[in-house]
This record gives sequence, structure tokens and C-alpha cells, in this order.
Amino acid sequence: MSQNSNPFINASGKKPSCMDMLQLILDGEADADQQKYFKEHMDHCMPCFKSFHLDIAIKDLLKSKCCGGQVPEGLVEQIKIQINLKATDVG
Amino acid sequence: MQEEGIKQNYTEKEKEQIFHGEFMPYIKSMYNFGYRLTLDEDDAKDLVQDTYLKAYRFIESFQKGTNAKAWLFRILKNSFINDYRKKSKEPSKVDYQEVETFYNSDEVDRQITPDLRVDSLKDMIGDEISNALNSLDVDFRTVIILCDLEGFKYDEMAKILDIPIGTVRSRLHRARNLLKEKLSQYAKQMGYKNA
Repeated sequence: MSQNSNPFINASGKKPSCMDMLQLILDGEADADQQKYFKEHMDHCMPCFKSFHLDIAIKDLLKSKCCGGQVPEGLVEQIKIQINLKATDVG
Repeated sequence: MQEEGIKQNYTEKEKEQIFHGEFMPYIKSMYNFGYRLTLDEDDAKDLVQDTYLKAYRFIESFQKGTNAKAWLFRILKNSFINDYRKKSKEPSKVDYQEVETFYNSDEVDRQITPDLRVDSLKDMIGDEISNALNSLDVDFRTVIILCDLEGFKYDEMAKILDIPIGTVRSRLHRARNLLKEKLSQYAKQMGYKNA
């Protein structure tokens, strides 16, 4: 695969690092050409292959373990009361 | 996200519809963001309440049907910086000039990242990941919350945080490496020799 065909190279012409490419893929910021290029690149780049699966696992773990908190009881009601007071004041 | 300075002219009924229909559905994400920033349940409640009151006060700066979640997150982040962070006696530990300079250098490609394995993550069923996230400096914690927990795109994060997209990317990269270092330490404590 020649460098010229690398769709990650931006206008400045700087060749991206593996980590640059990996991050765009991981965060859903890569376009279809970049995704295709990276998939082929991973076939012969063991560090990228390992990092990709590790980063996906961490992202999944964060999503499953750090988003589950409940909103404290009464908070929604408190906000609604405050907003109603403001709306009444205006009216 | 709505450009600042363009005012809408809503009736009271429209304001109520926007507030309840477009803002309140994000209360859970907002509380989680507030909690992860302040690391205190009472402060998080106050921060979220303040944010919603500000959102209502400035509702005419918001165009209905646009990105309410990003707008609310931006208000919460600004409230945290202006009202809560100032109360803290501990200043930010991050020297961004140093970080940005580092990420514009070739050194970053030679950096050795922690040798963490997927296997070791599977046993992290407790609070390890949450503790690891909470232990990061708030600015690094914030980009991980916005990207990995809430799924914001880089351009949305840039607007929420008032920083260029390049800075979003470099800060995210650094934050993830720091998180891996923390997780690697936990994995070693759990008995993984080459975590």
C-alpha cells in the first residue's frame, strides 16, 4: 500500500501515526475510505490490531460501568418547581 | 449548536414544550456529567439544577430542534468552571502548553503505552474503571466522558469545550493513555503479571 493511497494523509501531507488512525476509527470519525484502509492495515500491523481490540474493550467497559447512575430522587421535581416559579414570575 | 447572539421569540407555551420535550430527557446524562466533574453527589445536584435554570433563562438563545444535549453540556461545563472550580482550592494540574507541544512533536509516536491486555479488563467487574476515570485530572476526565460515555463527535466536543478539534484529539489521546496506565496498575494488583 503506497503512502499516496493513504486516505488519512491530510492537506499538510504529514503521514499519520498508527495511533492517529486508530483514534479516528475508534471514535467513528473516519470516512469509508479510511475505514477500509485501516482494516487492511491492521492485517499486517500487530500493534494496531492489539490496540484496536483493547481500546474497544475499554470503551465498552466505560460505557457499561460509568453511565449507570440514577438521578437523585427529587431533583427533577425541584427543577420543575423552580421553572414553574420563574414562568409564573414572567407571566 | 446554536450560534450565540441569534435570539428566538418563543411563547411561554413553546418555552415549556422545549424545556420538557428537548432539555429534560437529558437529565440522566447531565447528572452523570455533573457527578463525574465534581465527584460529589450534592455538588452534582446543585450544578445540574443551576444548569437547567440557566438553560431556561437563556432559552431564546436556543433554536428548537437543534442539538439540545450539546448546548446543555456546554452550559454545565461553563457553570462548573465559573462557579464550582473557583471554589476549589486546588488549581488545574495540567500544563496544556507542555501537553500540546509534546503532541506536536514526533516523541508521541515513540511513547510506550502501558502493556494492558483485554483479558485483564474482563475481570474488572467492580469499580476499577470508574475509580480509574475519576482519578484523572478533570480536563482529561472531561474528554473521555464526552467522547466515550456520551458519544459526542470531535466537532461537538470542540464547541462544548471551546478548544480546537486538534486539541480535542491530542487531549483525548493523552487521557486514554493515562487511563490505561491506571487500569494497568489495577490489573497488576489483581495478579496479572503482564497486565
